This record gives sequence, C-alpha cells and structure tokens, in this order.
Amino acid sequence: MGVNAVEVRGLSRSFDGRDILRDVSFTVGHGEIFGYLGPNGAGKTTTIRILLGLLAPGAGEVRVLGRDLAADDDARARVGVLFENNGLADRMSAAGNLAYYAGLYGVEDPAERIDELLALVDLADRRDDPVGTFSTGMKRKLGIARAILHRPEVVFFDEPSSGLDPGAQRMVRDLIVELSRREEMTVFLNSHHLDEVQRICSTVAILAEGRIRAFDSVANLTRASGRPAVTLSLAGPGDRACEVVGNLPYVTECDADGDHLRCTLADPGATPDLVAALVGAGFRIEEVRRSSRSLEEIYLEHVGQAEGGA
Amino acid sequence: MSTFAVIARREIRLALRNRSALITAFIFSIWFPVMSALGIAAGAEGDAAAVTAGITTITLPVAVFLGYLFCADAFLREKRDGTIETLLCAPVSLQRLWEGKAAGVTVPAYVMMLLSAAVSVAAISGLTGVSIAAEPLLILHFVAVVPIWIGASAGLIGAAQLALGMRENQILGFVFIFGFIFLIVLFQQIVPAESGISAATEAVLAAVGLALLALARFIAGKVTKERIVRTIP
Ligand SMILES: Nc1ncnc2c1ncn2[C@@H]1O[C@H](COP(=O)(O)OP(=O)(O)O)[C@@H](O)[C@H]1O
Ligand SMILES: [Mg+2]
Repeated sequence: MGVNAVEVRGLSRSFDGRDILRDVSFTVGHGEIFGYLGPNGAGKTTTIRILLGLLAPGAGEVRVLGRDLAADDDARARVGVLFENNGLADRMSAAGNLAYYAGLYGVEDPAERIDELLALVDLADRRDDPVGTFSTGMKRKLGIARAILHRPEVVFFDEPSSGLDPGAQRMVRDLIVELSRREEMTVFLNSHHLDEVQRICSTVAILAEGRIRAFDSVANLTRASGRPAVTLSLAGPGDRACEVVGNLPYVTECDADGDHLRCTLADPGATPDLVAALVGAGFRIEEVRRSSRSLEEIYLEHVGQAEGGA
Repeated sequence: MSTFAVIARREIRLALRNRSALITAFIFSIWFPVMSALGIAAGAEGDAAAVTAGITTITLPVAVFLGYLFCADAFLREKRDGTIETLLCAPVSLQRLWEGKAAGVTVPAYVMMLLSAAVSVAAISGLTGVSIAAEPLLILHFVAVVPIWIGASAGLIGAAQLALGMRENQILGFVFIFGFIFLIVLFQQIVPAESGISAATEAVLAAVGLALLALARFIAGKVTKERIVRTIP
C-alpha cells in the first residue's frame, strides 16, 4: 500500500448489529477528484470517518497516503477535511478561526496564507467579522478555506454543497476544482449530487446498501453503455428521416422527437455512413452528437429506481 | 506556540465572548457567595476567623459550578453541533485536545472566582464591619486549592461531556445540581465555621483536588474518538 492517495480494502463496518459497509474496496490515485456517490444513509460519511481514524474499521484495512490516520497523529497534518459542520466557531472572526487551525496544524507564515485564502474564497472584506454573522454559503466557503489551510495532500469533502442554493452550490463546485488544480490536492468528494460529480470528478465509486456497485473513471462509466448511439439535429421535422434510416443495416433503433433524431447503431464506426445516407436523402443536418449515458442513468441502474434521484 | 497553548487560548477567547455564560457566571459568583458570606457573618457575630472559614467553604462549590458553566460551551456545545469532529481530525491527540480545552475553561472560571471572592470580602466588611485579614492560609487557598478544584471540575465534566450522549448529558446536568448542593453541605462539615481554616483542612482539600484532577486525566484517557463521534447527535 502507498502508491495511491487513498486505499480501502475489504472494509466492513456495522453499527449495533446492522451492517453498514460490506467488503468495500477502492483506491484513489494522487491528484484525482474522486466522487463517492450513494443515496442518503449509504455509508459515505461512515467511510470517511474510518479513513480519518474517527471510527474503527470492523474488518479490512484503510490507508491514507499509506498511513493509518487513527494511529498516526502527524500524518493527519497532511490531510484536510470538511464535514457538514464547517468546524468554525461562531463567536470568532473569519481570520481568527483560520488562525486557530493554522496553530493546530503548525502552518508556517500563517498570516500570509490566511490572507491568500480569504481572498480566494472572496471573504477578505469580512475577515474580522464574527462567523456567526455569515450566511450558510459564506460559512461553507470559509470551511473550505479552513480545510485546505495547511496545504493538505488529500482533502475529504462530505457533501460540500448540501443545504446551499444553486448559485452557492456552483460556487463551491468551482472552488473545489480550482483549488485541486492550484494546490495539487487529491479530492475525495462525498456526494449524492450526480450532476456535481459528473461535472468535476475524474473517478467515481457508487455505494449502495453497503457495497460498491461501480468503480471506474467517469469517462469509462458513461461510455460503456453497450450500444453506441448518436443524436442528430435536423433543419426540419425528423419523422420521415426515421423511415429512411430505419432500413439501413447498421441502425438498430431510431426515434424521432421534433427535429431531433436519436439512432442506436450496431457498429460504432457507422456514424459517417448514417450522415451520408441522410444527406443523400435530402435532409439537412445541423448537429451530430455521439450520445453517452448520463451518470444519473448509471447511478439509477445500480442504486435502483426506488431509492434513486439526487 | 505549543498546540496545548493554541487550544487553551482559543477557549479563553471564546469564553470571554460568551456573553450569556459570563453574565450567568457573574451573577452566580457574586450573588451566591455574598449571600452566604452575609449569613456566615451574621451567625459568626463578628468573628473574623469564622467568616474567613465561611468564605473558604463556599469557594469550592462555586469553583466546581463555574467549571461546569464554561464546559457547557467548550465541550458540550462543540459536541452537539459537531465541531468536535473536525477538531479530532487535527494532528493533535485527543488527550492534548482535552487538556487544552480544560485549561481554557479553567482560566476564565478562575478569574470569575477571584472576582467573586473580592466582592464577597468587600461586601462582608462593608455591611458587617468584620475585616478579613489576608492570612497565608487564605492566600494559599485562592492561589493553589481553588485553581486545582476548578481544573478538576473542568476536566471531569469536560471528559464526561465528550464521552456521553446528549440524553446522558442532560441527566448529568441534573445530577450536577444535586451534587453541587451536596458539596456545599459537605464542605461545611469539613471546615466548620467555628474553628476557622487550618493547614490540615487545606492540605486535605488540596489533596482531594489533586486526586480529582488525576481521576479526570485517567477518565479522559479512556475516552476514544469512536466514543465521541458515535455520541454526536
Ligand atoms: N453512530 C452511529 N450509530 C448507529 N448508526 C449509525 C451511526 N452513524 C451512522 N449510522 C447509520 O449508518 C448508516 C450510514 O450512515 P452515513 O455514513 O452517515 O451515510 P451517508 O453519509 O452515506 O448518508 C445510516 O443508516 C446511519 O443511520
Ligand atoms: Mg453523510
């Protein structure tokens, strides 16, 4: 162990006789933005608590940066975390809160780093105001600054956009992406927001009923849909196009919806032939898109319609 | 600066900004000792030694209470709202976190205690004319025995608040009120007003305080992160 930023092997854990995690295994490479997806109550927070050494694993082994964080106080200085509670004291100022964590983590030149981060999360003008006067979104931004203050190599974010309005969710998402690039951090993102994960994560694991249902790069997961499909936008209604295209040997299925045509192909290389056939039949094409499945479809497949939805 | 000092300093700062705790502490630590000191002065009929003993008697339960009051913010609130979980991920041991917090609770409680004592002495001499001499034993009591007791109180209560669930903590709060009354009665037995304070009783009180401090340390050492995290509501 040690090549990866995070390693989880055969992890199981139960609470009061109820199995929460069952034989969970996955790895997160250095520099990745990893999405840990699952419905509420799936065990996402429990997993990161075990990784951070707050809870003991029932069975199996976990490592962060090759270390057991439960036993290794110093190794925790290389790791950051943002739980749903931001870890901030309401009666202290934004800068005061960061200064406290800087002291705990032994940050060098804390004043400079605090100013840098407050500017980055757009709170420089509120630096001396008590955090208790901040909005939920501002507290979350400060929580993010707090989590990465000591330049951790791995950061855990537990549902960072939960409870925020869409604008603030987007801001948090952009911030995480920017920070992971700027500071070259590995990001472990717990989320049940499929859209968020699809936008920013390179790799995902889907956890449901205590088991890993899928673990792959987002590209692979959304590509591996079995049959390739293309969506065409026509400069006119597509109903008649379906009649033309439906007879082609490499088209297995065709649906028209207004001026959109969605075709499933038997052969992924047949797209140019399909376009040529349509043009030959007198159709004018405005756009051709290879369709991939959304993460949502994949998620629902694994998690089950009953508990699905974000 | 050591992480111990970092943690303690934060708790002191937070306590100084905790208006409701400060007001409660202020009212309690003035009103309660002054009332009892006046009672003692009336009963002792101008006997300065008896009044001194009365003040000594009242300080330790007040010290314990003040420890409890400031713990409610430093330990219980941070547990209830989940802040403690983030702190447990920092590169400091749980023992160190507990020590820092307990020390940070002890300082404002001790300052309040000294204020309370000064007001009590002034009130007694102003209202009854009995003047209380700053005898060495009384000074020793305030410089050593009182802070030990506050520290023990903060440490024990803090460790219990970290380890117990919210319901159990509520019960602890009730038990504490009865324990507080029990302590007052107990100290009046240990230090009878008629005989004044003695080196022997002070030594016993100091020893008991140190034993409680050691007990607090022992109990805090038994608390695990798992225990704390699993009892966060
Ligand atoms: N301290 C605990 N004691 C008992 N059950 C718990 C505890 N913490 C979590 N659980 C249970 O474990 C399951 C997983 O919880 P959690 O890891 O918080 O899920 P997620 O973060 O994916 O929403 C839930 O059913 C929850 O009720
Ligand atoms: Mg969770």
